[in-house]
Amino acid sequence: MSGLLEKLLINYPYLVAALLFTIGTFTVLTHPNLFKKLLGINIMESAIFLLFVASGNIRGGVAPIRAVADGEAVYINPLPSALMLTGIVVSVSVTAFALALIVRLYKAYGTTDMRRIVARRKEVTGDDGFDQN
Amino acid sequence: MRVIKNLLLILLALLVAYAVIMTVAELPPYGQPDNPVHNQVAKRYIDEALEETGALNMVTSIVLDYRAYDTMFETIVLFTATLAVVITLKTGKGEGRRK
Repeated sequence: MSGLLEKLLINYPYLVAALLFTIGTFTVLTHPNLFKKLLGINIMESAIFLLFVASGNIRGGVAPIRAVADGEAVYINPLPSALMLTGIVVSVSVTAFALALIVRLYKAYGTTDMRRIVARRKEVTGDDGFDQN
Repeated sequence: MRVIKNLLLILLALLVAYAVIMTVAELPPYGQPDNPVHNQVAKRYIDEALEETGALNMVTSIVLDYRAYDTMFETIVLFTATLAVVITLKTGKGEGRRK
C-alpha cells in the first residue's frame, strides 16, 4: 500500500489529472442541468490535456524554444504540447456545438434541466424519447 | 428510486476513480528523461527542427511543418463546427428561422 502511495506521489501531475477526470465524470453523471454536464465534459478534456502535457515534461528541462535556452540545456518533449493544440481545437468545436444545441433545446422547451425536458416530451408525445423500437 | 440511482452513480464514479488511479500508479515516473515518451521521434524534432524548418520554437515547427496536414484538417474541423453551430441556431422552427 505504501508502495502504491509513493508511486502516486511521484506521479502527482497524473494523479491530479485522474482526479479531475473523475470529477468531470461525476459531474456529467449526476447533474441534470445540461450546462453543468457540458462543464463536466470540459473538465474531463482539461484532465486529458494535463495528462498529455505533463507526460512530456522533464525535471530541470527548459521550454523547447531555441531563443531562450543556452547551449547545453535539456529541452522538454515538444510533441505532446503540439498534439494537445489539436486537442484544444476539437474541444472548442465540441463545446461550441453543444452550446448551440443547448440553446435550441432551451428555445424549444424553456428549460435546460434534462429531467424537465424528458417530462415535457412525455406530456406532449406520450413517450419519453428513449425507447424508439 | 432516486436514492438507489444516486448510489449507483457514486459507485460508478468510484469505480472510474479506482481504475484511473491504479493506471496512474503504473505509469512511468514523472519527469525522468529516460521515459518511453522521450523516444527517437522527440529527439529528432529537438535536434533537427531548426535546420529542417527554420522555426526557433519546436512546437511551431511540429504544428506548422512536420504535421501541417494535421493542422490543415484541424481548421476543417473548426469550419465544420462553425457551420454546424450556424445551421443549428438559424434553421428550423422558432424565432431564429430564416424567411
